[in-house]
Amino acid sequence: MSLPSELIFIIDLIALYAVYLIISISLNLEYGYAGIPNFGKMLAVAGGAFVAGSLPGRLAAYSLGIPVEDYVRDNVIIVTQVNVGLRNNASLAMLISLATLVAAAGVGGALGFVASYPARRLREDYLAITLLAMAEGIRVIGYNYPPLVGGTLGVQVADMLAWVIPEFRYPVASVLLFAIATIVLIYMHLTVNSPLGRTLRAIRDSEIAAATLGKDIVRMRMQVLVIGSALGALGGALYGLYAGGVIATAYDRVSWTFWPWVMVVLGGAANNIGVAMGTLVFVTFRKLITFYKGVLTPYLPFDVVWLDLILLGIVLILVLMYRPQGLLPEKPIFTISRDEIQKMAKARAAT
Amino acid sequence: MPPFISPTDALYCPTFGGVVELLDPLFRDAIIYGGLLTLLSTGLTLTYMTTKVPNFAHGTFATVGTYVSLTAARVWNQSPYLLLPLSFFLSALIALALYIIILRPLIRRRSSFAFLMVATLAFDLLLLGMLNVYADLLSRAFKVTSRYFVLRFEDFRFADQPGLFYVTPIAVLATIVAIHIALTRTKFGVAMRATVENPALSGVVGINVNLVYAVSWFIAGGLGGVSGSLLTLWIAGNPDVGPSMLPSIFASSIVGGFLNIYGAVLGGYLVGIAEILGTSYFAHWVGSFVIAYRPLIPLFIIGITLLLAPAGLTAIGKHSLARLVRRLVASK
Repeated sequence: MSLPSELIFIIDLIALYAVYLIISISLNLEYGYAGIPNFGKMLAVAGGAFVAGSLPGRLAAYSLGIPVEDYVRDNVIIVTQVNVGLRNNASLAMLISLATLVAAAGVGGALGFVASYPARRLREDYLAITLLAMAEGIRVIGYNYPPLVGGTLGVQVADMLAWVIPEFRYPVASVLLFAIATIVLIYMHLTVNSPLGRTLRAIRDSEIAAATLGKDIVRMRMQVLVIGSALGALGGALYGLYAGGVIATAYDRVSWTFWPWVMVVLGGAANNIGVAMGTLVFVTFRKLITFYKGVLTPYLPFDVVWLDLILLGIVLILVLMYRPQGLLPEKPIFTISRDEIQKMAKARAAT
Repeated sequence: MPPFISPTDALYCPTFGGVVELLDPLFRDAIIYGGLLTLLSTGLTLTYMTTKVPNFAHGTFATVGTYVSLTAARVWNQSPYLLLPLSFFLSALIALALYIIILRPLIRRRSSFAFLMVATLAFDLLLLGMLNVYADLLSRAFKVTSRYFVLRFEDFRFADQPGLFYVTPIAVLATIVAIHIALTRTKFGVAMRATVENPALSGVVGINVNLVYAVSWFIAGGLGGVSGSLLTLWIAGNPDVGPSMLPSIFASSIVGGFLNIYGAVLGGYLVGIAEILGTSYFAHWVGSFVIAYRPLIPLFIIGITLLLAPAGLTAIGKHSLARLVRRLVASK
């Protein structure tokens, strides 16, 4: 039994949406709420994907007792054996996936910390330049250091959902990814409506005012970059696990820095629901372009990919100029009403 | 003598056998690359000084020049040197368009700082897409190799050295002398310096601030285009040749202090030489595998500069040097 192509399209769309939702929501925390122009989002995403490419296969092979001489060289054979082994071992697969995601988030956070450390005290443009430049570095390492993700050839990633009935592998993956993305969205909603979130907005709107009120701006900035990068890496790792392969060249400035920026700006910075909408619009648009690429190709004397790049550039510039607040503008901070505070105060007085 | 290693280009064959190499090819490569970086970082610094926006599209201005050179050599059968003015004007007009059509309206609308940077990033991709379209059209219409093309053999040779070895330093010198004279001896240059210092006050005394900004973008784009035109006579050309140099260009400007034109020259040569000679000496000590990691050098340079002297080398004055020396003496 095979699924109809429309259904495959939607299943794939949901998975891609979930991955990009996590990344754009994390960028929204950094840029929308804290005002840090993270032009190196790709760094964290690639870091997470590289963890997904190098860790779970080795872990699974080790726990299943499969001999590993050279993981990258014998990658295809080992991954095939691992997938067979994981077919009857759902709990091991889940444990390894969890370990991978935790490791990815840790690596992402560390990368965010290291990349922004030199510019942490400087103005936002220096921070942006530093992050952009550092992000270029990780691809150079991934490309030239084969033990990580197979260098120029890439690696296959062991299928952590090998235990699911094959026809349902992709639908189950999409549902899981979407569930994780929803959890991230809820976590972010709670974070930005916490004292931390309000502090971040205060710093964004006036660093000096926030500093005079005793807020440690550098510390806050680093904290946000670490959280944002950890989430970005989570997204990258999920994408690696979902796609079943990682190759360094796939992690470029356009797909993992520029697109998330388009999603955030289009949806509305500092509005998570807006960013979720912007991401949906963007991912659907992109998916449709890829889906109907074949239709356009005979009429164009050049590759459709470039038209895609030109259109996105123009759309983003137009949004910046004519709708800078995005689809959904930022809303005032959600606070408890006066009545409720009074009720709480009374309740406390009564006890 | 260490084995010849050209980290950027394996296609180059030095004239071994019979001919005595008077000059280490590595030094020559470093001089050429440093000069080309200098042209780029000078332009970047110029736009940053005036408009205060780091232009992430600056690398792609160089690619424009690269494709002018390709068109000159393969379609019109001309020396790329003859078409340098065209490279200059084309890239200059593109940079001007970025400023006038996109950045100026955004600045007038009081867009956030990050939005201005995103706009340059968006323009970069727009331009990159158009250059790729041009490359595709070129290879279809004229059967020209428009990706990873080599124009090294279009360069003239003089006294057994490639022409670039002479042209690049001359171009840098001419640029910097011209900028120096303009800034110190002409009325417009003085107006430009005033605008950098305080745009609002300059406007009050009747300086056309917009014109100053527009001119600085024009010159910056032009220098980028010339650099890209020359670059392709030395390494293989491709649409991503400019964007891939972006970390090096920013490193050069940051080392130079980002607000100092002469600093950009210092930074460009420093980063260029560090990348070429540094990689080769590391390769000599550690092993040739490090050559591939050359793009990491500008990242280290950015990191170290921002940690130790965030305002760049040119901002290290006599006083801070004296303080450093005193501290070192005291610690002993």
